[in-house]
Amino acid sequence: MRPDLPAAFLSGYMMTITKDQLSLSKETRKKMVPYLLIAPVVIYYSMFWLFPVLNAIIESFKDVDGIWTFGNYIHIFKDPVFYEALSNTAFIVIFSVTIEFILAFGLALLINKKFRGSSMFLFLAMIPMSLPAVAVGAMWSSGLATRGWLNSFLMNFGFIDDASKILFLAGGKMSTMLLIIIIDAWTVIPFVMIILLAGLQGVGEDVREAGAIFGGTKFQILRKITIPMLKPTITTAMILRIISAIQIWLIIVLLYGFNRLPVLLEQVVLNYDQLGAEYFERIGLALSVVVAIIVSAAAIFYLKVSGSFEKEEKQDE
Amino acid sequence: MNNVVKRQLRRSAKRTSLYIVLVGIAFIIIFPVFFLFSFSFMSDYETYSEWPKPLVPSFKANFMIDKNTEGYHLFIFNKSEDGFMPFGPLVFANNEKDIDSLRKFIKLQSNCKISSQKIVEYLKVVDNNSRVEFSIKKDLLANYILFFKVVNGAPKAVLNSLMVAGATILISLSIGGLGGYAFARYFFKGKNILKLSVLFVRMFPAVSLAIPMVIILAKMGLYDQPLGLSLVYSVGQISMSIWITASVFMSIPVSLEEAAMIFGTSKVGAFWHVTLPLALPGLAACAMYSFIGSWNEVIAAVVLTQFNPTFPVVVYKALVGSQGQINLITAGSVAQALPAIIFTLIIRKYIIQMWGGVKV
Repeated sequence: MRPDLPAAFLSGYMMTITKDQLSLSKETRKKMVPYLLIAPVVIYYSMFWLFPVLNAIIESFKDVDGIWTFGNYIHIFKDPVFYEALSNTAFIVIFSVTIEFILAFGLALLINKKFRGSSMFLFLAMIPMSLPAVAVGAMWSSGLATRGWLNSFLMNFGFIDDASKILFLAGGKMSTMLLIIIIDAWTVIPFVMIILLAGLQGVGEDVREAGAIFGGTKFQILRKITIPMLKPTITTAMILRIISAIQIWLIIVLLYGFNRLPVLLEQVVLNYDQLGAEYFERIGLALSVVVAIIVSAAAIFYLKVSGSFEKEEKQDE
Repeated sequence: MNNVVKRQLRRSAKRTSLYIVLVGIAFIIIFPVFFLFSFSFMSDYETYSEWPKPLVPSFKANFMIDKNTEGYHLFIFNKSEDGFMPFGPLVFANNEKDIDSLRKFIKLQSNCKISSQKIVEYLKVVDNNSRVEFSIKKDLLANYILFFKVVNGAPKAVLNSLMVAGATILISLSIGGLGGYAFARYFFKGKNILKLSVLFVRMFPAVSLAIPMVIILAKMGLYDQPLGLSLVYSVGQISMSIWITASVFMSIPVSLEEAAMIFGTSKVGAFWHVTLPLALPGLAACAMYSFIGSWNEVIAAVVLTQFNPTFPVVVYKALVGSQGQINLITAGSVAQALPAIIFTLIIRKYIIQMWGGVKV
């Protein structure tokens, strides 16, 4: 401030400014509120998600001495195990997501009625999704072992005898993958079912009744009313499932150990955690970037095919 | 008339088939979980020496002591063989050392507690009658106690897990709750992106996120610390919290807040005195959901801990490294699963409500 300005002028000048600012800020402040509320989320994500992700991407392009290179990626794409892991993962994802969705959808349609004990039943259905992954692993590895509870059960009820014990874990690649798909289905179907049930409750009985009054058959009502109204929920369930199905690995390692049935994320952990050298750590990083790209591509592909993007554009108009 | 009967018949047939399917699903869900629990109560003897293994753990074990010229012999009743089988040392004598080691063996192998005096008493009976049969009540929780004694650092790991979960709840509920409120009450640019953030953060595998976090946390001095781990968990939990709290706040009408403001409270006051108390049960459910998420997580914890592992890491290492017998490991797994199952029981209604509000 210039010292030779009259004090009165100065104070008047300042007053107008502050008044102006105040009247302005009341408007902007109101608009600012939601941004202030979500600011911590944005800051947190940039610090603890975006930053490490960028870090991982950058480091995956460097070698042990910190020199820029494509070497880590070349190593991955030259490795035949990567392609095996890729095809195994694709097989498991396609079959498990399809089977899980069909079964879960059927169950959700069936259960979407008021019945006695429904609250207790829903709790039961939530048990597999609340079980820790390690407990699921312990459960199945104690069950599928040659002298596990599954064979014991079958023997106790006389289905098999000691000579015909089933070697669940000793099968070939195909039966290994089928077993993994079944176990995954056990863990996940209740979860998908609950998401779909929640969506079905939003559709409401009255809409379907209206369809019935206008002479729709059950199948027509399902196809023309229920499924279209349920579409956002179906998309949510499918995307969440695709994302986590591609990242399957822990149950495989808990049952079979590393390298028996290579899948993508198992290879990341193998490189990072088991091999121990920094060279492999960087390969693990590069591989996890590849996995992230595959996951995003699959999710976007699904969104595109299911037409969720079009819907969003329509909303914008 | 005939039609009415037909309709009623059809309806009851429908009902019956519904219940049959429900019972079938319940059976498929419970079947493996039952065995997880069942194994965790079995003694080493039941687990490894009976075949086929019992489906239900026994509550007691039957023993027999008999005697020949060499000395005393101990037998245990084996259900699968349907008879007494030799148990423990082939031969033992009536002296303090032998009886003490016998007592320890019985406790370790069959989870049954018996005092040395009692054994001596039985031996006296054997001297007179040539054999004695007796049964001892099994200590059902023995595996659980042993797991925490044998597996290195298990009690401390539980404490670590609780601290991680507590910090995760604090971070994710405060940050996510603000976001959820903004979501429920305001329109703003980037709302859709924020909505999808829950998907974005899942697309980069958690284990891969943990790898660069090692360096970042080490720089912050938080590597191998509960707080450091909770910072990583909060990334996923914040987005869940936004979804859950948004649906909680949406279920509370804005008009209540407006009414409070007419009576002279500020916006903040209205939130504090009206909305928050109403939202409290939903927020508690959200906290429990965060608890379950962080309590169960194992992969990032394996990468991000070294000397201060969380409880799932301890169980994971016991399972992968086969450090313990399977009955011990199942006991550890059940101990880990129980809090998650109980919290799920409490918040089951909110889980449905929450997913109802979630739409991509």
